[in-house]
Amino acid sequence: GVAPLGPVPLNKEKCYQLAMLESAYHHIPQPIDSHRVRTYLPKNPCPIPAYHYLNPPAHSDSFEYFQRLHPESLFFIFYYLEGTRAQYLAAKALKKLSWRFHTKYMMWFQRHEEPKQITEEFEQGTYVYFDFEKWQRRKKEGFTFEYRYLEDKDLV
Amino acid sequence: NPGDSDQAALFEKTEFLLREWVRLYLQPVSGRDSERAFAVFANQLHQHGMLKNDEMLLRFIRVSVEICVELTYRNLHDVTQNAHSRIKLFQTLDAFGRLVVLIVKHAGEPSNSKISMLNKILGLIAGVLMQDHDMRHADFHQLPYHRILVMLLEELNGVDQVLENLNSAILSALCNMLHALRPHRVPGFSYSWLELVSHRIMISRLLGTSQQKGWAHFQQLLLDLFKFLAPFLRNAELAKQTQLLYKGTLRVLLVLLHDFPEFLCECHFAFCDVIPPNCIQLKNLILSAYPRSMRLPDPFGPNLKVDMLPEINHAPRVLNNFTAAIQPQTFRKDLDSYLKNRQPVTFLSEMRSAVQMPSEPGTRYNMPLINALVLYVGTQAIQFIRNKNLSISLSTITHSAHMDIFQNLAVLDNEGRYLFINAICNQLRYPNSHTHYFSCTLLYLFMEANSEAIQEQITRVLLERLIVNRPHPWGLLITFIELIKNPIYKFWSHSFVHCAPEIEKLFESVARSCMQSKQA
Repeated sequence: GVAPLGPVPLNKEKCYQLAMLESAYHHIPQPIDSHRVRTYLPKNPCPIPAYHYLNPPAHSDSFEYFQRLHPESLFFIFYYLEGTRAQYLAAKALKKLSWRFHTKYMMWFQRHEEPKQITEEFEQGTYVYFDFEKWQRRKKEGFTFEYRYLEDKDLV
Repeated sequence: NPGDSDQAALFEKTEFLLREWVRLYLQPVSGRDSERAFAVFANQLHQHGMLKNDEMLLRFIRVSVEICVELTYRNLHDVTQNAHSRIKLFQTLDAFGRLVVLIVKHAGEPSNSKISMLNKILGLIAGVLMQDHDMRHADFHQLPYHRILVMLLEELNGVDQVLENLNSAILSALCNMLHALRPHRVPGFSYSWLELVSHRIMISRLLGTSQQKGWAHFQQLLLDLFKFLAPFLRNAELAKQTQLLYKGTLRVLLVLLHDFPEFLCECHFAFCDVIPPNCIQLKNLILSAYPRSMRLPDPFGPNLKVDMLPEINHAPRVLNNFTAAIQPQTFRKDLDSYLKNRQPVTFLSEMRSAVQMPSEPGTRYNMPLINALVLYVGTQAIQFIRNKNLSISLSTITHSAHMDIFQNLAVLDNEGRYLFINAICNQLRYPNSHTHYFSCTLLYLFMEANSEAIQEQITRVLLERLIVNRPHPWGLLITFIELIKNPIYKFWSHSFVHCAPEIEKLFESVARSCMQSKQA
């Protein structure tokens, strides 16, 4: 290195600082230390060969990108990445695909056909829903979707 | 000892209450922001006498911090070995962070009692941290404090009407705490400290507004960082631990250069005071910043006429009071009087001794004073020329008290002159009146130099700032290009250009890239 003003010997205080910095170096903060706890998908950094993708594609944090994902991927994001921007975008994309969230069952429903009955308070008919315990889509005939359980906040 | 048993009882009670709070915090029914759980918990706090007065509550919080820290140290082995125990530990630390935020939020009206509560709690956490750091030395761990402070940072800046209204006071409180915990004071906390300072919320909240207060706070924290690094960088001997911190610093600066260039523009003067002169790239990052609304003309363009650019009539904004940095008062008075009357001539030699600092080991010159002096005299000169209704050029900057001062600084010894030329080059940035004036000044000093040593040193400072990797400040490029292109400077006839074959080659390659790069 170049030191145009010449080196200055480090005094006692600077040597102490350097030593303390070194001990901190051996346990530097991990990425998870600065992020919310992710119960299901905790960060787990490990060495990856350079010929793998090390970064996600550009603009993969946009609504347009989420719209191109398969609904099952969106369900996964919705249930396993709680409280993140990804969850928000997944919910928005599911809504765009005419899925509606049921706040009592905590599951996403989609009309399988035009409802047999529609009133002020509910609609009734055959629905497809995503069962997060069985992790599959299932069909329910004669289901009553009460509107008070419909999550209908505008996602801005 | 009755005090001890008191303390033990408080510790026991606090431990019980904290465990109770963690349990409530983790219950799904407690709500997103734990408001419902807090209502229950506040009752328990009250029953155990913790809400009797602020003093009691603060004692409870202090002991809670100590319990959190102890819990971390007790599980240190597991926590550093596997992510799951780390996350398990975070449950307690996060719960405690949330509790602090709720206590601040509910600290009653008026709002300044909330802020005073926050300040007390932050002071308390910082106090525990420093004590821990100074007692454990090499065994000190940043983790518990890091986690608690990240939580506080995020939650105090979250979406919440009450906190939103207090945001600027909250940011001040956080910044004051971080300043107290600066690396110089708590070096074992440096990495966490940099993460907190450069946290996306911190940067966007402090710099996202044009608020002077936020900018001044952030400037202070960056100055803390530069000051800490300076002695290690100056010696150019970087151990791995300093290297890592330096790399982090470069990244933060890159983010700032990209997202908040105006901030770097206005703070460049203060930063250049504390960054050692050999940290070329660090300085170039700061000096390359220019306002986003500006379009810089191509410095390699063949028909570039700098004096025709409208921007060169505008002075750049400087956040710091550089005039006040010219001390002592008597020296400034003498300086002003010389600038006005161009006498007595003895002032010039007095000035040359005023910038020296014989008492400091390893530092013969007062670099901040030279920086302030150069900028101050330059701004006075611009004013002087303006008042005569003239524009800045090689012929209007000469034969004045201002140029006397510069020509006298140019005859200092090598070290002094190096710092002086650096001070001028620190002003060669985007198109503005300072850039234009100092560009002309540097070229004039080159042309009128009475020794080749001066010319060699001017060339050296320009070149050493250009042979490093990008970015390069615009004003620096146009000055250097003018120097080698315009025959009036007889650049190629100087012996230092031909002193060594590798240097000669270097000049030729720079010249080639400067002259033709855009012609192809």
